Amino acid sequence: MAVAELEPPLAERKDSPSPQHRGPGPDAPFSLTQLSSWDRITLWVLSAMAAVLSLWNLTGAPSYQDDEGTYTAQAFAVQSGSLAPYTYWYDHPPLGWIQIAGLNWLPTMLGLGDGTAIGATRYVIAAFFVASALLLYMLARRMKVRIPFAALTTVIFVLSPLSLVLGRQIYLDNIGVPWLLLAFYLALSSRDALWHHVCAGICFAVAVLSKETLAIFGPALLMALMYRPRWSNRTFSVVGFLTVGGLMLAFYPLSALLRNELLSGPDHVSLQDALSYQFLERSGSGTIFEAGSSRAELLAGWLYFDKYLIAAGLAAAVLCILRKQSRVLTVAILSFAIPIVLGQGYLPAMYIIGVIPFLALALGTGVDIAWSGLEKLGKNRPHHRRPLRSAFVAVLCSALFLMSVPQWFEQDRDLLTAETNANWRQTLNWVQDNVSRDDVVLAPYSMWYDLNSSGWNDAWTMIATEKPDLDKQFESVHPGGWQEIEWVIVGPSVTSNIDSLGLSRAASALKHSTTVQSFGEWSIRRVDPPASPQSTER
Amino acid sequence: MPVSVLASALVVLIALALFAIALSTLYLNTYAWWDPKTQIRTSYSGLQASESCSFSLIMPCRNEREDVMRATLSALLAQTHSRKEVIISVGHDDPETVQTAHKLAREFPDFVRVSVDVSETKNKPRQLNKALSMCRNTVVGVFDAESIAAKELLAHIDSVFAAKNADVVQGAVQLINYRDTWYSLRNCLEYFTWFRSRLHAHSRQGFIPLGGNTVFIKRELLNEVRGWDGNCLAEDCDLGVRLSTLGRKIVVAYSPELVTREETPDTLKALVRQRTRWSLGFMQVFAKGDWKNLPTRKMRAIAWWTLMQQHFMAFAGVCIPVAIFAAVWGGFPLVVTLIAFLPLVPTLATIAFDICMLQEFGRDHKFTISWYDYFRLIVGTPIYQLVLAFSALRALVKFIRRDFGWEKTDHSGSHLSYIDTAVAAPVRP
Repeated sequence: MAVAELEPPLAERKDSPSPQHRGPGPDAPFSLTQLSSWDRITLWVLSAMAAVLSLWNLTGAPSYQDDEGTYTAQAFAVQSGSLAPYTYWYDHPPLGWIQIAGLNWLPTMLGLGDGTAIGATRYVIAAFFVASALLLYMLARRMKVRIPFAALTTVIFVLSPLSLVLGRQIYLDNIGVPWLLLAFYLALSSRDALWHHVCAGICFAVAVLSKETLAIFGPALLMALMYRPRWSNRTFSVVGFLTVGGLMLAFYPLSALLRNELLSGPDHVSLQDALSYQFLERSGSGTIFEAGSSRAELLAGWLYFDKYLIAAGLAAAVLCILRKQSRVLTVAILSFAIPIVLGQGYLPAMYIIGVIPFLALALGTGVDIAWSGLEKLGKNRPHHRRPLRSAFVAVLCSALFLMSVPQWFEQDRDLLTAETNANWRQTLNWVQDNVSRDDVVLAPYSMWYDLNSSGWNDAWTMIATEKPDLDKQFESVHPGGWQEIEWVIVGPSVTSNIDSLGLSRAASALKHSTTVQSFGEWSIRRVDPPASPQSTER
Repeated sequence: MPVSVLASALVVLIALALFAIALSTLYLNTYAWWDPKTQIRTSYSGLQASESCSFSLIMPCRNEREDVMRATLSALLAQTHSRKEVIISVGHDDPETVQTAHKLAREFPDFVRVSVDVSETKNKPRQLNKALSMCRNTVVGVFDAESIAAKELLAHIDSVFAAKNADVVQGAVQLINYRDTWYSLRNCLEYFTWFRSRLHAHSRQGFIPLGGNTVFIKRELLNEVRGWDGNCLAEDCDLGVRLSTLGRKIVVAYSPELVTREETPDTLKALVRQRTRWSLGFMQVFAKGDWKNLPTRKMRAIAWWTLMQQHFMAFAGVCIPVAIFAAVWGGFPLVVTLIAFLPLVPTLATIAFDICMLQEFGRDHKFTISWYDYFRLIVGTPIYQLVLAFSALRALVKFIRRDFGWEKTDHSGSHLSYIDTAVAAPVRP
């Protein structure tokens, strides 16, 4: 090499570890390029565990949801060059399902997912789940949590029924979470390297463009970046993080602007309308303190799946204040919880997904903090050290046992063995076999893509339940209104959707239909419009 | 249909090329800050106990004012290093400067001598070559007529030669009269990024165009390669390229308190002329093709990219808005239009980092940077970019016409007023 840069002065080089000492020492910052053998083994074991738990009976349970069908359908729409099979109305930034579109051709090609599109797409989500699990371990290690407790963090994340149930489904939150964790991992980079912090900004922007609610972790992330002793590149890091992250985010409003859909106006959807719907107009979920409000019910639902993780995680978040580098977790959980506790606006059911890794991380860190306290105690009383340690391990193990065995075991076993989509599948098969491809059918979104792609190939002949009422295009394709609908497929959530969204056309079609075939909670109904043509309901 | 697809593909291709250029600019400009360790690695390594080399300092002058020359010379004579001589290099067709040079030489007969170049065509490399023949010491250094060297510079350079066993040491130059004109702030910052960051990145890549000032080369080596190229307008860049190709060890060092301080060209016209000369010089070096002798394909690619950088940068700044405009109003698919916006991300990020650098520039040199200065920096960027692009274009026209005349930059000495008030910052730990 012709040219050399100056190397650090000799005095400084002496401080660095001597060359014969291979591998990082006990206090070395965690880095993927210099893994200790224990870290390596743990990572392998955890990834195997996360992969098995997320893939096992993936298409059997939980049952397919409408949202899953929506994102599957939108991902396939991306592959054919549009953002959604219907009018894209800025309900969410599209990067989440664009990522699915980039990946789900693979399980489809391999014939995974029982031959259904929605099943195949769940395999993509499984990959994101495994990534989250591993990033969680790496993040815990970067926050100086000891190996066993860092592993515990991931084990809790992977085994908690709340996390496992939601983590197997095709939700945008599941796509955003690994990006969010990666952003935290990079922001906490021990090298203070500018490009790590710029990449943290990019990852956060990707997370928010996958699911906008993850933006709630912005303050915690900024704190993770800044909350440490001053380093020479600090201004550069903060400016780089904010600028590059902000510019990436700007592509969302920019794309709306270019489609002339940024601001509200007649005859077109707009980002402004979508935002004011999501934040202002959408019927609120009530307060958490009001019994029977949908917010309280939602919280009860989350607690049903795993009250232990939520309660213990919140308690651990308080404990995390004690250690400087883990205060970020307290802030993250706090800023997540504030809208739930104080807000009254619409609370989406998947909102919890974002905080699960932080609850698990707070728990792992809390245990680590407690262990550190114990070690300190043991230093002063050397003869008590052993019994103290044993007692700690015993208490921890029994707490975990109590936590996991009755509730976790039961629920996880259900998840790994139940076959909850049998009726869905029979309904799908029946419609495919018995309904003419020329008939106009109303189908729940969970089944929509698989039906449409089995011969209809027309979003306005095979129609998702919500669209006759919510997409203006219906009127131009079906000027006859609901009476042009010939079949209605009813799944478990159809009637409640019709009620909550006020879908009058779907309601009329349903009212004038009779059941032809049913499978459990699924039924296929034929619409018989009233004989008198003067009916003006449209 | 195929025409529109072709047009889309073209827009995407151009956007991606602009993105690569903007990203490379961002990388080079911020290289020094990528990692705190880089800052340590790129600074001087401390003083050695004893002096190991002696210096012959060449000071090329042409149509220079006496006070400017005197200030430069006294900074060289005030060096703490004990073994030095100064050779004032002038041309025989410039009698006033010759007279001033002789006057100064008479005042310091032990240290200063005058070299008068009598060749037909006048330019800096020829003056340097003539002066080189008079040099007696082991290391030859070049200082422009208006450059104020830091007092301890030679002592530190000496230590770098000894500690690193270097063949060439490139010190840093900093323009400092940032308040004078709208473009001077941009120009000062350009030097700041060049010597603080970009040169170190080039050095890391193993291919480096040297600067023409505060550069130190072993005299024997310089004689071996027959000095500077007398026909090249970027003789400094050319020398760097030839020495890189020979595999010689070139060390770049930066420390804010050891920078050589200079002034910006005093008119916009002078700036355009200076940039045209540099661009033309880079084109000459590129056309000479010495870089093709580099050992690996990768290094040749880096060399190609480095020599083309000036032009890429100039045109990218102008092309990005044009590309966006074309994409928005050309009725392309949304994805294509969004890709056209992509180069804007690194470009705007570069400007954001410029703000951080301006802050650091002010801190290093004890200047109070006001909000107005930050504002001026941002607003001035697109216009400055236009000036650079115009100069590059002008150079291209001259290159095609084979017009390689030397357009000299005049010096008004406005930086001297900054040096009186600004004392070099103390050494930071």
